[in-house]
Amino acid sequence: MDLEFSEDEAALRDNVRAVLAGICPPAAVRAVFEGKGDPASVWSRMVELDWPGLGIPEEAGGLGMGYVAVALVAEELGRAVAPGAFLATVTQFAPAVRELAGPADLLARVAAGEVTGTVALAEEGGWEPAAVAATARETAEGWLLAGAKRAVLDGAQAGEVLVVARAEGTAGLEGLGAFLVEGSRLDATPRPVIDPTLPLADLALDGVVVPPDRVLAPPGAPGVAEALERAGQEATVALAASTVGACRVVFERTVDYAKVREQYGRPIGSFQALKHRMADMFLAVERATALCYFAALTIAEEDPRRAQAASMAKAAAGECQDLVARDGLQLHGGIGVTWENDLHFPVKRAITGDTLYGNAVHHRARLAQMLGLVA
Amino acid sequence: MRLTFGPDVETFRQEFLAWLAENRPSEEEMAAEPAVSSAHVPEWARRWTRRMFDAGWLVPGWPPERGGRDAGPVETLVYLDELTKAGIPRTTNPQGLGIIAPSILDYGNEAQIRDYAMPVLRGERAACLGMSEPGAGSDLASLSTRAVLDGDSFVISGQKVWTSGANYADFCFLFCRTDPQAPKHKGISVVLVDMATPGITVRPIAQIARPEYPDLNEVFFSDVAVPRENLVGKLNDGWAMANGSLAHERGMVWLSGVLGLERSMAAVLPEAPAALARLAPAERAVVADGLVQSAIDAVAARCLGYRGFAKLVRGGSAPEQALMKVFTSEANRRLALRAAELGGHRAVEVGAGPDSDETWMERYFITFGGTISAGSSEIQRNIIAEKVLGLPR
Repeated sequence: MDLEFSEDEAALRDNVRAVLAGICPPAAVRAVFEGKGDPASVWSRMVELDWPGLGIPEEAGGLGMGYVAVALVAEELGRAVAPGAFLATVTQFAPAVRELAGPADLLARVAAGEVTGTVALAEEGGWEPAAVAATARETAEGWLLAGAKRAVLDGAQAGEVLVVARAEGTAGLEGLGAFLVEGSRLDATPRPVIDPTLPLADLALDGVVVPPDRVLAPPGAPGVAEALERAGQEATVALAASTVGACRVVFERTVDYAKVREQYGRPIGSFQALKHRMADMFLAVERATALCYFAALTIAEEDPRRAQAASMAKAAAGECQDLVARDGLQLHGGIGVTWENDLHFPVKRAITGDTLYGNAVHHRARLAQMLGLVA
Repeated sequence: MRLTFGPDVETFRQEFLAWLAENRPSEEEMAAEPAVSSAHVPEWARRWTRRMFDAGWLVPGWPPERGGRDAGPVETLVYLDELTKAGIPRTTNPQGLGIIAPSILDYGNEAQIRDYAMPVLRGERAACLGMSEPGAGSDLASLSTRAVLDGDSFVISGQKVWTSGANYADFCFLFCRTDPQAPKHKGISVVLVDMATPGITVRPIAQIARPEYPDLNEVFFSDVAVPRENLVGKLNDGWAMANGSLAHERGMVWLSGVLGLERSMAAVLPEAPAALARLAPAERAVVADGLVQSAIDAVAARCLGYRGFAKLVRGGSAPEQALMKVFTSEANRRLALRAAELGGHRAVEVGAGPDSDETWMERYFITFGGTISAGSSEIQRNIIAEKVLGLPR
């Protein structure tokens, strides 16, 4: 196992970081948080650079660089606290379309940046496909949806929404189906969230009718649960990487600040109590980073450990966020909790990333099942 | 990044596995006489060490003239991995093999290599490392054991403590002060001391777990005369060797930490479902969550170690490596405590542990060896903060 970047991967990472420094500098991030930003222009620059097609196979119109490249971009997006449609479109929508064997031209349009998308999976019950309660009933006009989705990333912005719903009377992993709905046809309620670079919306499905040619998988079609599970792993690891990227920047700023902020005539970073906490922050960041890369590799190489690895990466990213957000804020003292200081942007990005697609507790509970510790 | 190594590495793995299958010590002989100290070399271990050395498998990363086969770092990693998977110790005198013999090979003269280093590699002699003293633990440079040159001999007086395996070792790689006037780092030398020399008293220190098998010792030196030619390297140049020897050790420590953690996890997981079933339902999820966190630690430790390792192999620096000791030793301690929770009240019962005669709680006590020795967790955090993060002293 080789978990260090190849030359190509390092070059990609450097390039992405440099591009983001240009199109998404701190002032642009602040503007988004203050309601004056322009996430659409950030996304259109990403489209010009072909980022939407990074992980899409060449035969489907993408660059075919694989999932590791996608995860590296996700990490850099977290680091830059970048807005834009990448996470929802490239790491949630496109994998779900691919795994459900959706129309090839749809992936080509995603790769070309002609369409943005997201996946409407979560409901009050949580992030598991098994917890989906929304229903789809066949009528003369098409499939009639009913129910409500929660915390859909880009739910009010995405051009296409992949809605997961089940046949009435089914439960668990049986009876699941997937439908493509134009975002404009859905009643979306944007949530007032702490991090506007990861905008969330609730979607009301009642009364929406999906014509037959936009049904990706009719309820009860074979393999839907597995396809959603596999696509969900890609979404999960990308969010873990984004969270870790944001955590790393909080950690780096905290160390930098501790070197220059003086009290009692010496830099506060010279106090052992603070040194030990920063050493622990460093460990938390590196632990989660290493697990993210491992998980990305298991996805890229179709390794059977990918389900466990994805949950481990997401759990570690969440635990990292708990520690780094807390001590990053604490060690900055009063300045860290002011709106004026930029520290709260990556802190909020990290916290939000933890909550999406299941937080650390959720994934540890899943792991307890996967490891055979609980039923 | 990729999950597997290249075909040449896999060929190397198969070659070693084939040799191992033919030559490994049997489970029966290992169980009949387990090593009870870090310098105790039972008969089977002597034969095993010799067999490995003669076949070029004891130190595969070394050049052939030193008994190796010029294996690269990745091959060496695979070799150690497979040995651990097979449940076979590479040595029962880890400091002799990992620190002392290579230090003598690097700094010693021909006679020292012939009489001390090579016998360790052939399993004929066992060695201990005389470093810590009552007044010099983490701050090794403050050591005060004196070696005074008197004609053709050094006369040594003083005390070492926490010396692993001194109760079984044939000789000691002893750090002592040869110039009390010099600044503390500059007056230290290393002398090879046969443990049978008159004037040496070894007093084993019984520990809170398994007191009948002490491994740590106090070692008292009372006017111990050692031939002058037993000086390793130059006079007053021992500090370089302290750093050098720790570097030898550090190069291995991350992997042995990872392997140890994985081994503990592998021992606990099969026990866990039945033990969890004995707990009250509400307790189960809580205890299981602790084990999950440890399972994540075990995978993370390997990933983090491999990541740092890959950077080193590419010739870069690897700040991750500085984290490995504190991470793996503390993760191992957390796991031991969580495993003990599985046992409920039986955790404190002697003989009720996961593998025969050790209690869960004794395992926990033993893990403190990892978080205290070779630079305590607290010192490790200072080092990480100052050397890696660049925080001011």
